[in-house]
Amino acid sequence: MQRSRKIVVLGHFGVGKTSLIRRFVEDTFSDNYKVSIGVHITKKVVVLNADDAVTFILWDLEGTDEMEQIRDAYLLGTHGVVFVFDVTRPSTFQNLIRDIEIVRQKIQGPPILVVGNKTDLIDLEKLEQQMLENTIPYDFLTSAKTGNEVEAVFLKLATLLNEDA
Amino acid sequence: MKEQEKLELLKDILYPEDRGQVEDISKRITLLELIINDQEQLAEKVNPLVDQKIDSFTKSIPDTLGPTITATLKKEIKNHKDEVVDALYPVLGKMVKKYVAQEIKVLSEKIDNQLSFIKRWKLRLRAIFTGKKEEELLLKELSSSKIEQVLLIERDSGILKASYSRTSSIDEEMISGMLTAIKTFVEDAYHKKNQNLELIEYENYHIHLQSFVTHYVAVVISGDYALKSKNKLQDLIFNFYYNFMAMNLDLVFTSKDRPKESKTIDKEWLEKELAESFGNAKI
Repeated sequence: MQRSRKIVVLGHFGVGKTSLIRRFVEDTFSDNYKVSIGVHITKKVVVLNADDAVTFILWDLEGTDEMEQIRDAYLLGTHGVVFVFDVTRPSTFQNLIRDIEIVRQKIQGPPILVVGNKTDLIDLEKLEQQMLENTIPYDFLTSAKTGNEVEAVFLKLATLLNEDA
Repeated sequence: MKEQEKLELLKDILYPEDRGQVEDISKRITLLELIINDQEQLAEKVNPLVDQKIDSFTKSIPDTLGPTITATLKKEIKNHKDEVVDALYPVLGKMVKKYVAQEIKVLSEKIDNQLSFIKRWKLRLRAIFTGKKEEELLLKELSSSKIEQVLLIERDSGILKASYSRTSSIDEEMISGMLTAIKTFVEDAYHKKNQNLELIEYENYHIHLQSFVTHYVAVVISGDYALKSKNKLQDLIFNFYYNFMAMNLDLVFTSKDRPKESKTIDKEWLEKELAESFGNAKI
């Protein structure tokens, strides 16, 4: 059985939301940074097993430093959220708990996965230690550039949505 | 023997090689004078160098003179708009004429196709009864609106529930998402509650958006989309949606115990219904 689910990708400016989606959907990466304006829609089918697949309609929302500013209307009917931060820029995760709370107030119910991106630019072991020491709650540490853990994020989300269904 | 002659004799005795060198140089100078004075010979020697220089200069024009030429052209165009228009008008005119001729050819072919024997008589009879010209009726028929694509979309999420398409287009699920994003943006931007985006126009196409509580229907129409066509289309949409809602009553009746949810309706069946409702409909 195949069904479609709306997945919203959120986060501060320049954390790599579009790159993460591009890596997941097209398996490509570009260093050429272009600011996303408004929203961009892409689609990918995630195969869970031989009999089950889920179609992700991915809403890549423009980045914002204030989560309150995210348009509520874009979040209507969302089935799952990927919240992305940049591991090299503390400003994108120093208020992570508060940011997630705001998103949670806006979208009640659907699962939210927190993803630290750009791990290719930093020592992974040190980063994990730093995250632990500062009690930064994250689900995945990814690199859109190398593709590390990107697939795992969306597979986890598909599994969570499958459990809810 | 004079002093000078004595000196020359002494030089000959002391430096015999110098004399030979002087003669050699003298010969070379004479030869060079001949080459310079003879144009053909000079050209033979100089032309390759000049050609090489010109070639290298030509290649370097985009880098060296390009910006200056562009800036000058921009300035000239800005300062002499009327002259530029005058100069371009004949060229553009020809292009437009060519385009119009092409379009008339296409229209003429369409008219020829329409004018089969039976169709011609039908048209003639209609013209008699309606009192309109045959050409007028034919043009009206050619520009009439056609339903190209119908999408039934979940209003909040933008998820496509079912679709009907006369011609193939890019991924309909992505179109549904993007239409929903555009619709959401417009409706949100003006902060007008209960106002819906109803129409998107692009050249010969219109996208009619009919919003309901939980879903909306997007219909892509080609041709002339007048008020009369809109009314007919809305009737079609309302009829279809009424049947659809009857199949999916949970969308209408919600309670605290039973939250709003959509029943799973067989997509294939729903698409068959869409094709039946909109496929052969005339608007």
